[in-house]
Amino acid sequence: MAKILDGKKLSTEIRDELKQDIKSLKEKGIIPGLAGILVGDDEGSATYVRLKEKAGEALGIHSEAVRLSKDTTEEHLLQEIDRLNFDSEIHGIFIQLPLPEHIDENKALNAILPEKDVDGFHPMNVGKAWLGQEAFLPATPDGIREILVRYGYSNLKDKHAVIVSTDNLVGKPLASILVQEGVGANVTLCHSSTPNLSDYTRQADILVVSVNKAKFITASMVKEGVIAIDFGANYIENPADSTKKKLVGDIDFEGVKEKAEAITPVPGGVGPMTITMLLCSTVKAAKIMSHRQS
Amino acid sequence: MEIIDGRKIAAEIREELSQRIGKLKEKGVTPGLAAILVGEDTASLSYLRSIARGCEKVGMLMETVELPKNITQEELDKQIGELNQDPKFHGIILQLPLPKHLDTLRAESAISPDKDIDGTNPVNTGKLLLGEETFLPSTPRGVQELLIRSGHSPEGQHVVICGRSNIVGKPLMGILMQKRKGANATVTVCHTGTKDLPSITRQADILVAAMGKAKAITADMIKEGAIVIDVGVNQIEDPATGKFKLVGDVDFEAVKEKAGAITPVPGGTGPVTSAMLMINTVKSAERTNK
Repeated sequence: MAKILDGKKLSTEIRDELKQDIKSLKEKGIIPGLAGILVGDDEGSATYVRLKEKAGEALGIHSEAVRLSKDTTEEHLLQEIDRLNFDSEIHGIFIQLPLPEHIDENKALNAILPEKDVDGFHPMNVGKAWLGQEAFLPATPDGIREILVRYGYSNLKDKHAVIVSTDNLVGKPLASILVQEGVGANVTLCHSSTPNLSDYTRQADILVVSVNKAKFITASMVKEGVIAIDFGANYIENPADSTKKKLVGDIDFEGVKEKAEAITPVPGGVGPMTITMLLCSTVKAAKIMSHRQS
Repeated sequence: MEIIDGRKIAAEIREELSQRIGKLKEKGVTPGLAAILVGEDTASLSYLRSIARGCEKVGMLMETVELPKNITQEELDKQIGELNQDPKFHGIILQLPLPKHLDTLRAESAISPDKDIDGTNPVNTGKLLLGEETFLPSTPRGVQELLIRSGHSPEGQHVVICGRSNIVGKPLMGILMQKRKGANATVTVCHTGTKDLPSITRQADILVAAMGKAKAITADMIKEGAIVIDVGVNQIEDPATGKFKLVGDVDFEAVKEKAGAITPVPGGTGPVTSAMLMINTVKSAERTNK
């Protein structure tokens, strides 16, 4: 039976460590500041922004949410970003995605100063990470990295990592973390439509899946001893209670856990790590800026 | 078995480019490429000379700015800054490696993203990975073009890349995994420490060798009918004659018997790489003179 990679527990540990970091920053007169921009009134996005705000405040991070109406012009959004770029109390800026269709998402993301781009979506950060340089990383792949490291899987030199996801949020930046010289693995990037997908997944020492297809990866698709990481979030009918939906991942947890060496549950695996990693990046940004000023 | 002729493909590309250059010249614009070479290195000089010959054939301007090997970072930044401002040049390349006292990433970052036709500025690297419009690095872009033009599109194929350098392996993975025409492959990147490398390379529909190790890919490491692309350039001594000769990372003589198609060294990826530098320089000139 597999070891459960408990993202919730790790997340609490990391937030405790962050409190210490923030305390010592405060002794130097620095309060880490995080600003989130929300455009429109999408309920899910609004909840996320509130969660990030609250989580930051709980640790003593100065948190600011900029809520703009859904018909905000691109020009106005860019002005807001610029204001935050110049605000010395703000060390990290994120834009809650998706943006309304009339706004060019790339243009907005590229307007954030790379030094404050704690979500790691600016091409400068994406490029540096890919080249193996110090950079801000997107929260999900960064959280996956942290889970692997904290559970003792830090040297991946003789491992084969198979990533089923090629998007800009998970697949690409995770490949960029895992492929680096030194401790990096052999990396295969698959699409969910890759022909004979199971030929690849069955080779994986580390399997990461993010395709949002409930129970897409079954036990027959993995090898004995795999480390299985699941970043899927799918709501399915709950057989026990028809009035409530049940949250499951992209991996058939019950089946795969019998074969895996380690596995992340859904919920409670990678999910809880994402906000924590955003807060880590904010504290890191504040530290870097304080070094520059001193 | 088919030998993929890189020189022929490069000639085709230059032919197409001549037409585009002709149109630019009607507007009074000659596409210009500047290469920066720090220190004296005969291999680099001969490489840059071969690019210059290619440019000359199609009526492009190409100049090499030779700088002393003890140049400071600040002076190098200044030289790059001047080329960024010079309207004669639409593309700038920096010949690597730089002497050890210089910071390569800083120098590459100093090249204006609009003239960074070899896609080495981290901003352009990021755009490559995100799938945004940008200049793609010439060697991996050349590999893609060679595959497409020789009728071996990577779409839906398993591409195995041996070598994860910043100039070939990583950007090639970034290019071929994008969801678009001429890409859309399943991509594996291996390295020299990969456990049981042959078990991975034998899965390749398309195998790209870019590890910089002479004849490292042997016949038993590929599957029957695989497309083999050799990016390696190694000088080895011929025991019979005592003379040096160029070989790739693939054991050409043995592998060609098993491969469906293979690129030779020299005459494979090299000429197409140079052609890609020219294409990007012309593209840059077209952009600034719309």
